[in-house]
Amino acid sequence: MTMMRSGLLLGFLAVAYLGVPLLFGGMDYVMSLVIAALTIAGIAVAWALLGNLGGLVSFGHAAFFGVGAYVSALLVMDNGWPVLPAMLAGGLGAAIASVATMPALRLRGPYFALAILAYAHIFKILAVEFSSITGGAGGLLSIPGFPTVFGLDLASKTGAYVLILTIVLAWMAVYHAIRRSTWGLALRAMHDSELATRVVGVPSTHLKAVMLVVSAFMTGVVGAFNAHQISFLDPEYAFSGTWTVLPIAAAIFGGYRTVWGPLMGALVVYLLDQLVFKEIMPSGHQLVFGVLLGAMILLSPQGLMPLLARLGVARPRRETAPQAAAPHATEDGNARA
Amino acid sequence: MFELTLQAVYSGLLAGGWYAMVALGLALVFGTMRIINLAHGELVLLAAYVAFEMERSFGLNPIAAIPVALVVVGLTALLVYFLIGRIRHDRELNSLILTFGIAIVLTNVILMTWSADIRSTSVGWFMDGAVIADTLFSMNSEVLFFGAGVALVGGTYWWLNHTWHGRALRAVSSNRNAAMLMGVNPARVEAMSFVVSAVLATVSGVALYTASVVFPALGHGLTIKAFVITVLAGLGSVPGVLLGAVILGVGETMTATFAKPSLQELTGMVIFLLILFLRPSGLFGRKVVGK
Amino acid sequence: MTLNTILRRVAAGIVFSAVAYGGAAQAETFTLGSQVPLTGNLARVGTGMHEGISVAIAMANKELGGKHEFKVSTIDDESNPAKAVAAVEKLASEGVVALTGGYGSNIIGPASEAAAKSDLVYITSGGVAPELTHRDLDTFFRINNSEGYGKAMLGLLKDMGVKKVSVIYSNKEATDAMAKYVEEGLKEAGVEVTTHEFDASTTDFKSIMNKVKLRDRSDAIAMIGYENDYVGILRAASVLKPEAKAIVGVWSLATSQMNTEFHDLVQNVYGTSLLPYPVKFSGDEAVEFSATYKEMFGKEPDYLGQFGYVQTRLLIDAVVAAADKGEVSGKTVAQELRSLKADTLIGDVAFDENGDNPNFSHRMGQHQGDRVEIVWPEKAATAKMNFPAVPW
Repeated sequence: MTMMRSGLLLGFLAVAYLGVPLLFGGMDYVMSLVIAALTIAGIAVAWALLGNLGGLVSFGHAAFFGVGAYVSALLVMDNGWPVLPAMLAGGLGAAIASVATMPALRLRGPYFALAILAYAHIFKILAVEFSSITGGAGGLLSIPGFPTVFGLDLASKTGAYVLILTIVLAWMAVYHAIRRSTWGLALRAMHDSELATRVVGVPSTHLKAVMLVVSAFMTGVVGAFNAHQISFLDPEYAFSGTWTVLPIAAAIFGGYRTVWGPLMGALVVYLLDQLVFKEIMPSGHQLVFGVLLGAMILLSPQGLMPLLARLGVARPRRETAPQAAAPHATEDGNARA
Repeated sequence: MFELTLQAVYSGLLAGGWYAMVALGLALVFGTMRIINLAHGELVLLAAYVAFEMERSFGLNPIAAIPVALVVVGLTALLVYFLIGRIRHDRELNSLILTFGIAIVLTNVILMTWSADIRSTSVGWFMDGAVIADTLFSMNSEVLFFGAGVALVGGTYWWLNHTWHGRALRAVSSNRNAAMLMGVNPARVEAMSFVVSAVLATVSGVALYTASVVFPALGHGLTIKAFVITVLAGLGSVPGVLLGAVILGVGETMTATFAKPSLQELTGMVIFLLILFLRPSGLFGRKVVGK
Repeated sequence: MTLNTILRRVAAGIVFSAVAYGGAAQAETFTLGSQVPLTGNLARVGTGMHEGISVAIAMANKELGGKHEFKVSTIDDESNPAKAVAAVEKLASEGVVALTGGYGSNIIGPASEAAAKSDLVYITSGGVAPELTHRDLDTFFRINNSEGYGKAMLGLLKDMGVKKVSVIYSNKEATDAMAKYVEEGLKEAGVEVTTHEFDASTTDFKSIMNKVKLRDRSDAIAMIGYENDYVGILRAASVLKPEAKAIVGVWSLATSQMNTEFHDLVQNVYGTSLLPYPVKFSGDEAVEFSATYKEMFGKEPDYLGQFGYVQTRLLIDAVVAAADKGEVSGKTVAQELRSLKADTLIGDVAFDENGDNPNFSHRMGQHQGDRVEIVWPEKAATAKMNFPAVPW
């Protein structure tokens, strides 16, 4: 079982790191689409981590995306930082911004979701108003791109692809690691019943706060990646609702309680939209996201991956679940479904 | 200075009457079902577009288009209700995502049906000035729909407190199981809250069409404003909605007048967060945060 | 085939073989790429530009009479920079010879950089930010710029002799830049200026208008925004009736659509406009443009169509010139564009080394009854300006 899983994982990594660049490396357009899909995937993983482990649905991840993008771009442009450290600093900036949103943690459900959305709005307005730092509504043009590392030009399509792929996989690894840690156990217990964990003495708000910071950091780094890749930023774009809507759709579609769900969801949703739906419906094809969201919630709230597993299409469904430390934590969601 | 303040308060008050209409629709459903209908703003917008279509195709006055709009919006609202009823688990959060999806669908349907062009009524009367004592300026439509808003909010308040249906709704809202024991069918009551919410959305949509310009991307912002007011009001308080709406309206016009118009949106958001953190149960509401 | 076209072909053939040995002498088909927003928040302006591009292709093919043939391959960028970049790359992979299109400086920026990477010329009229032409891109060209709009607005206000102006502007990228330009220009001319920046989601402008009325007491109101903003500001002004002598706006205002849909509201209001409405085209090209446009889209051409047409037409001429000299590449097409001087529907066009068109100057139109008359500059005027005059 374990051997088969590591074999699958190795196969996936080989395809992702070698197969895709070899096959599509010369096709800038395809690579651009995949990079954009992976950008969404990066946020989707962060969103899923917060949603699954923190039990918090956020409607404002654009806030962290935008802060990360601005911090990184400004550090490079105004302070001459190298791009890669600046991206990490971007993540850090988003994490710090998330501290400002922490009062929202004691809010439940829709209150939290919309409080975070309010933060995204506020950050956007601040980015417009502090024009001496951020360039205001006009934004920043010609943001420096990625450097060459170990002979790989990260500014090239293939380089950017490898970079964002690595980021997304790293976030998935973090998600996986937290999930199987004792923290993850406590967090999922908390999701089942907040009262229960309170009784057994888990400081649930602390754990949630940590998840929020981690999720914000991840999102911030992805935002920074996007800024250097597109080489442009303005408040409207950096804090755009798209950075919230698409990742949610991707995570829900793929299954946000699994580690692979957000990635698969992002690839499927984004590529389907750009390659298929856009051809069929030149205008208004975003409608499809709405339909997908609704349909998934009604038909398979656990997302595509568990659905496939249930239909017996995929490998045994434990494939993506961690080797659990305790029996009742082997499966998430499905166990209760 | 005095004149500026007076006008700001007056404009804010008028805006507040309209905001209250939009927000009460959202608050009512939230109160009964604990569900935020994130497609509520789109329902308001849909009503505006039905009024536009009636005017364009049949030359109908927007006021006369209200019944048609009511049918369209009412049916759409019931469809939303039906879909929410199909949610099996974790209704509070899943309904959020479901209605969010519905909102995206509605926005794009509106875009595809009526294009991205800006629309507004061409009946001049609505835009004519209604001036009080040479110092307070407004448009006819604003005064008209401020009145309609206050009347509808008042009517809803009376309905909730003095009719059997209204009391049943309040019963379901405070304790679903107990209400069931008392012979109230919660499903019917919940559907009813959606219908009343649709009525409010329809009138506020037509008001929007007559006083302002509409375009497809508008819905999302309306939902947010409505939610801000709902939080301000506190769960289950109708007078709270009216007061919250007026606070938001006046807050915005005061910011535009005495600070910077571009900070207007910030005001709403900051009020929203302050209330959430300092007084999570709202100005009038029962405690709702935390179980 | 008429005798005339046969003769022209023969003549062209002789010139061709004389100038370019080795170049293919038979008819070539060139595909232009077009990345424009057809959905999203720029859908409306993008669609307008796209119509102009289509007209340019149709007219060029008619005129070239089979010597060369042009096609356009269009991708909707959904008003999103990342998708615009992907669109440019897809077009490049399809082998287009150059790109025409683009709306919004923020989208044109990254898209034209992607075009430069593929060694393709990118010509546009959809982004007016000054930074766009200061990026050392040899393949980037733009037929209009914010100075052109700003100069027209400033010129009109100066000619009116107003002493105090209230500038009301949206806090979006293009409007913000334009407002700063106008503010500086007016101050240099000794005009007193107050500014009111509003959020793009603002719908009720009475608070702002009341400040203009009671505090500013200005002679003229300058609006820099988009259609929905103009309607909101004008409605607030109609109710509050400030003592201004003129209301001036920029783009998307002195248009036929605004004149028909918001007829009473826009009376006597000024906005940038190249041509009057109903259009009185003079010159063969203009007349044909108007006729073709009406035939293809069943309506009067507007300014978006005119710009889209002109940029594409210049590009086609440059591609033809490059082809006739033997090689079509980003470098040769750019060279041709840089050396051309053309009298177009939007006035003289010549590009400087940055790809900007320093000749670009807009005109100001005024809604007068059912017409939009050109009232500034004087030499292009079709009617006298109504001044002082306001909609109410």
